[in-house]
Amino acid sequence: MLIQQLINGLVSGCVYALVALGYTMIFGILGIVNFAQGEIYMFGAFTAVLTLAATGNIWLASAAGIAVACVLGVLLERIAFRPLRGMHPLIPLISAIGASIFLSSLARLLFGPEDRAFPFEFHPSSFYFYGAQINQLQLAIIAVSVGLMAILTLFLNMTKHGKAIIAVAMDSDAARLSGINVNRAYEITFLLGSALSGAAGIMMAIYYNSTSPSMGLLPGLKGFSAAILGGVGSIPGAIIGGLVLGIAENLGAAYISSSFKDAFAFIALVLVLILLPRGIMGSRK
Amino acid sequence: MSVYIFHVLIMMGIYAILALSLNIIVGFAGLVSLGHAAFFGIGAYVSGLLMINGLGFPAAFFLSGIITSLLGLCLALPSLRVKDDYLAIVTLGFGIIIGLVFLNLEITGGADGLVGIPPVSLMGKPLYSKPGFFGLVAGVLVVMIVTMYTLKQSKIGRAWAAIRDNDVSAAFMGINVYGYKTMAFITSSFWAGLAGSLYAHYTAYINPHTFNMHTSIMVLSMVVLGGIGSITGSILGAVLLILLPEILRPLADYQDIFYGALLVAMMIFRPQGIMGRVKITEMFGRKK
Repeated sequence: MLIQQLINGLVSGCVYALVALGYTMIFGILGIVNFAQGEIYMFGAFTAVLTLAATGNIWLASAAGIAVACVLGVLLERIAFRPLRGMHPLIPLISAIGASIFLSSLARLLFGPEDRAFPFEFHPSSFYFYGAQINQLQLAIIAVSVGLMAILTLFLNMTKHGKAIIAVAMDSDAARLSGINVNRAYEITFLLGSALSGAAGIMMAIYYNSTSPSMGLLPGLKGFSAAILGGVGSIPGAIIGGLVLGIAENLGAAYISSSFKDAFAFIALVLVLILLPRGIMGSRK
Repeated sequence: MSVYIFHVLIMMGIYAILALSLNIIVGFAGLVSLGHAAFFGIGAYVSGLLMINGLGFPAAFFLSGIITSLLGLCLALPSLRVKDDYLAIVTLGFGIIIGLVFLNLEITGGADGLVGIPPVSLMGKPLYSKPGFFGLVAGVLVVMIVTMYTLKQSKIGRAWAAIRDNDVSAAFMGINVYGYKTMAFITSSFWAGLAGSLYAHYTAYINPHTFNMHTSIMVLSMVVLGGIGSITGSILGAVLLILLPEILRPLADYQDIFYGALLVAMMIFRPQGIMGRVKITEMFGRKK
């Protein structure tokens, strides 16, 4: 029972971690909270569902979903955030909320308000591990998430663009003086964050076999919480925050009350922040 | 038709009180709250439950404000240890937790909501007429505006402004930063509770859905749209954001898209809000 809940928590924790990475990178570099992240997650999932229904190719569908998420992220940065740089922090927050309302109602118009099943039959075989039932889908989600996190870490530390992002996050003026194209760094950050959210959305659509225009709301909020929990701006923090949140939520639902499942994530958050006001890995600029 | 107009006016009044109360936190003290609808909801449920259980209106009205401000204190004590974005997410979490409490408690009626809340009664007579109720809302609003202006000029208001502008130097000047921030939450939640009470007795039926995150965000949008810290701005913001869905109603399904796009456009083209730094008293006052 305990191991089962830990594994379920690990699966949702991985997804929260992917969303949290987007939040934390965008916050680390721009100091703004991209509230529309959950909607990008939803658009990624919907594009994958529609492409899959049209072509029947799951790889093509995933690629299309992630591509649409990237395009949306870059458009969002251009339209809703770039003109607002350097203003009172509430201004981009409201702009992001506006963008989020816009995107979720656009999705309701384009895809209809109802739940859609994922148009692809998965028959994952499962096996038992110390009494816990694990299926291949869960393993695949964990593996893909870990792979994406590894790629992101390598990208940030090894490539020129990745290093530029880290430099801009440290000090954007100094980075500009050293000849780094700051706007390009912002764009790539949004692109990466959105790609991760899109991938997370697609995996959750497969896992729960459902997509709906409001599917991004709670994962978006929990990803945000996970980013804060881990300490905003910290990449390992976002991953740890996501996993802690996912596991805390599943344990709370299993052992205390399942109707308060969504509350446990936030109760865990409040408790951690009271004890460690800067988050778990908190080293904030 | 006049019934409809008064309905819209009453909603504007209630949301203006709510937006002004949030403006104490956001505009006066420079903090953030993304869970303001929780206070609105607590006021509504407390007042509704008290009156269903036989308490009279003025008593239920004031008790709802006081109980809500106690919960404001309970939120402020732990969450004011953190700042800025951390505070935003803690208050957001508080809003979601309170929403789930409304949804799952037996006494609040769960998802079905609270039915049969008695109407407001003054001097023993129930107040059913919409113009009459609007008079009550307008009265509360006027008292609140006067309080807000007095508060802004008072020692407390100046302490808030000092904290908002720079909390480190405010602490250096001997201002109890934590205490004054807590006070902002208590004052704000008191008025939000009163707004909730008015709402509950006006609609006679409340459910958890009214007090979710969307309401918190809408109220925050009213404050920012009107101009952070501006008293007239918050009222104008409330009037506009209540009016907007009514005007956009012919667009039906496209309503929310326009609403979202308008928020983004507003932030890009007039980020300082409608009122910005212009004061209405200066607009109509003597010009040199």
